[in-house]
Amino acid sequence: MDLNHLVFYYLALGMTIPGILAVISRNPVHAVLWVLVLILHQALLLYTLGSEFLTAIQIIVYAGAVLVLFLFIVYMINLRLEERWKVFVRRSGIGLILIFIFVFLLFKTISVFLALVPAFKPKLPYDLAQASNLVWIARYLFTHYLLQFELIGVILLIVVLGAVFILKKLQEVKNDSF
Amino acid sequence: MEFSSQSLYAIIITAVSALVLLLVSLFHVAYLTYAERKIIARIQQRLGPNRVGPRGILQPIADVLKLIHKEDIIPSGVDRPVFAIAPLVSLVCAGTGLALIPLWQNFVLSNFNVGLLFILALSSLSAYGVILSGWASNSRYALLGGLRASAQVISYEIAMSLSLLSVVLMAGSFNLQDIVKAQLESPYKVYLIPQIIAFFIFWVSALAETNRVPFDLPEAETELVAGYFVEYSGIRFALFYLAEYFGMVVMSALAVTCFLGGYAGPFEIPGIPFFWFLIKLYFLLFIYIWIRATLPRYRYDQLMGLGWKILIPLGLVNLFMTALLKLLL
Repeated sequence: MDLNHLVFYYLALGMTIPGILAVISRNPVHAVLWVLVLILHQALLLYTLGSEFLTAIQIIVYAGAVLVLFLFIVYMINLRLEERWKVFVRRSGIGLILIFIFVFLLFKTISVFLALVPAFKPKLPYDLAQASNLVWIARYLFTHYLLQFELIGVILLIVVLGAVFILKKLQEVKNDSF
Repeated sequence: MEFSSQSLYAIIITAVSALVLLLVSLFHVAYLTYAERKIIARIQQRLGPNRVGPRGILQPIADVLKLIHKEDIIPSGVDRPVFAIAPLVSLVCAGTGLALIPLWQNFVLSNFNVGLLFILALSSLSAYGVILSGWASNSRYALLGGLRASAQVISYEIAMSLSLLSVVLMAGSFNLQDIVKAQLESPYKVYLIPQIIAFFIFWVSALAETNRVPFDLPEAETELVAGYFVEYSGIRFALFYLAEYFGMVVMSALAVTCFLGGYAGPFEIPGIPFFWFLIKLYFLLFIYIWIRATLPRYRYDQLMGLGWKILIPLGLVNLFMTALLKLLL
């Protein structure tokens, strides 16, 4: 077993164990923190795969922005109710069905992957090693995937406009009540 | 990656230089507190610390010894593990950025390809230390301080990224070493002249990111006692202070790298490789202290208004202008 394997196994453990802990911990803030640990390990995994840009983006977007907002929300609202066991158990039937479906899908994908293994070759171009990772991603985003890239931009713009619209409506309601 | 003697050797070299960097920066941070007290005292026509050693020069060491020996009180209502982790999170996120900054042509601890992005990532993570300490303390002052700090750090993060992006656009790289080289090849030698607006935005947001005056609302003594670290004592309290001063050093070093031409100077000084870098760093740190001694604190709505209504639009306009000029010239 060489260093690469050791690092990979460490990262795999570092992602699965916090994932499980995030699900089973009662305290919502602790759950968010376990997700943070998970995301940091995920970023490291991306780094070991040679993708520096995605590592940085993973930390900035998920750890630095999304999770902070999550933390904000669980911080502001009192979640004592969810800490009680009964709320969790009441809908366990639906949960079990969902778990069954997920496990089924998981095995299905694993079997597909295993069938692929002999034919599987990384489809990365050889100039990946020459140019920096960032240059490579940028080149593909602005040539090959330009349409998708622009579409995502438009979708995000719509989200921002929606937020502004809702805020404006709220303000109008507030002004009327006075 | 195999365990060969050569790679082991490289690992040891890196570890030793990291340790040296850490010790030197800790020394700088300690004496930054001394410099701050002395300079503010001079500005306010006082004497400042002058009892421990000649002219009070040993004051930081006495402070550290005092803080280590103080009792480490953990209040009974706190969330223990989170309470214990929070100061460490702050410190690590504030200090790690130093590893990516090229202190000299031949000395950068980690020549990361997306170094600038990584520093931004670290500074976005440093919000956690504040939020967690505010939440875990189980105290109203701390909670309010934590809320203020996280809102402030997140909003000024955007302005800071925008200002740094125009530097990236001019240099054409996220690598800090490449940014310094691109500056030296440009006609002005420093990006401060063409990117003066970006520097202004960066500096204001750096003040806000490190919770310094005039944006020290999270720890406003007159309103919140001490904000998010009001429940901390002894060495844990010291860690928060350490994180703040580390943040100042890293932000100043980043400003030196991105706007002031990094390690380069008008002429070479033989024997002292870090001379110009340190001179520029000390100058920026002096400005930090000068601002603290001069300006009053902002009101909260003014702070948010400045961030969202002035700095971010200004940063966007600056980014567009930079792109346009780069296309035209």
